[in-house]
Amino acid sequence: MKKRIFAVLAAAAIMLTGCGSAESGSSVSPAANDGYDVDLTQLSSSMVYGQVYDMVTNSDSYVGQKVKMKGSFSYYKDEQTGKEYFAVLIADATACCSQGIEFILKGDPVYPDDYPAIGTEITVTGSFAWYKEDYATYCQLLDAEIIPNDAPAEDTTKELSWN
Amino acid sequence: MSEQLSTLRYYLEFDFVRYAIIVGLLISLCASLLGVTLVLKRFSFIGDGLSHVAFGAIAVSSVLTFGLRAIGSEATGRLAEVLSENNHTVIVLPLTVLAAVLLLRTGQNTKIKGDAAVAMISVGSLAIGYLLMNRFPSSSNISGDVCSTLFGSTSILTLKGSDVVVCSVMAAIVIVTFVVFYNKIFAVTFDESFTRASGVNAGLYNLMIAIITAVIIVISMNLVGSLLISALIIFPSLSAMRILRSFRGVVICSAVISVFCAGVGIILSILYSTPVGSTIVAADIAVFLIFSFLSLFRKGR
Repeated sequence: MKKRIFAVLAAAAIMLTGCGSAESGSSVSPAANDGYDVDLTQLSSSMVYGQVYDMVTNSDSYVGQKVKMKGSFSYYKDEQTGKEYFAVLIADATACCSQGIEFILKGDPVYPDDYPAIGTEITVTGSFAWYKEDYATYCQLLDAEIIPNDAPAEDTTKELSWN
Repeated sequence: MSEQLSTLRYYLEFDFVRYAIIVGLLISLCASLLGVTLVLKRFSFIGDGLSHVAFGAIAVSSVLTFGLRAIGSEATGRLAEVLSENNHTVIVLPLTVLAAVLLLRTGQNTKIKGDAAVAMISVGSLAIGYLLMNRFPSSSNISGDVCSTLFGSTSILTLKGSDVVVCSVMAAIVIVTFVVFYNKIFAVTFDESFTRASGVNAGLYNLMIAIITAVIIVISMNLVGSLLISALIIFPSLSAMRILRSFRGVVICSAVISVFCAGVGIILSILYSTPVGSTIVAADIAVFLIFSFLSLFRKGR
């Protein structure tokens, strides 16, 4: 009987360990180096996926933070509204899902003259912001700057998911 | 090596990594506890069948969410938010439990028996689930949604604090139930007829095993996805059975192997950007091969 009680208490302890770590409502990222609040270029692709997901779902915690991220350049034009969207996309480890963040460059750049080719691997820095359209939350980097990388992205044909 | 350790230390500062490790270890512990019983009762494949039911249930819940949002009223919108915020558990858990009860409890009395019933429900749910996801997509990336549900993808790294609480409570219920009813589960596992003859309500305990199995399947989907759940249930038990003979020894060894492999798998996948579910299962396979090798020496003596 004592053994059973001990085992039940051990199980309860495991449960409390889990609950204790889950007290905070939203995730918080540790501070990155080089003056960036969130430096996604320092993380493995699995970590980047998790971090970008956190930025999308806990957008308020990141508003105004300086973000640096690396991924493939993507462009989309809404034919109905004529609005253009520019984003940097990161594929996850299984290569079937992509997380992306839209960016708006500083100044008045014109597409395609002031942008890299679609699929080019780029590094983007900017200030984090978000907005809502219908039921979806979209994240963006404002006052962004593009730093081109050497290597082109491997795959540019995947379906895109920005939220 | 020290560079990898410092990278790991840095990664552990992220809340979502800590959540993934806590949930991963709890899920693997629960799956291994029940795995021994399911393997011995010749229900190894039920994990696969029920996970496909859960996949179909997620699709049904997604369609329901889509429909509620399309109605556009404030009440339906709020209901849709509730469904999507808890990963559709409100719909998925009852449907999976129902399927588990039908398969494990009434399997002996129906015209379609055992493996045929599991196979029928498994492929049927998978087909209907994919059909619904395709016709009523919840996002623009259908292949991503399907892939994520089937293989777990990196969804273990996208858990929120509330997910950890739900998972911890479910895991605690499973562990406490297993510990409290250990003797009865042991009896039902090895000789159901004798258990019935000795006055124990074996049907009730079979029902309990069915419900616990369904709960484990639902909480495991975030970790390894619906296609790889069976591996979490089967491999640790089979590895332990290679070298141990007592039920208690196999259960304890299986739990240790499962937790170890889940921990190693999650850490490796984070460090080297490999798919979490596949990496955990690869670790389980490696341990199974090692234990199989060790069992050769045991027999030799």
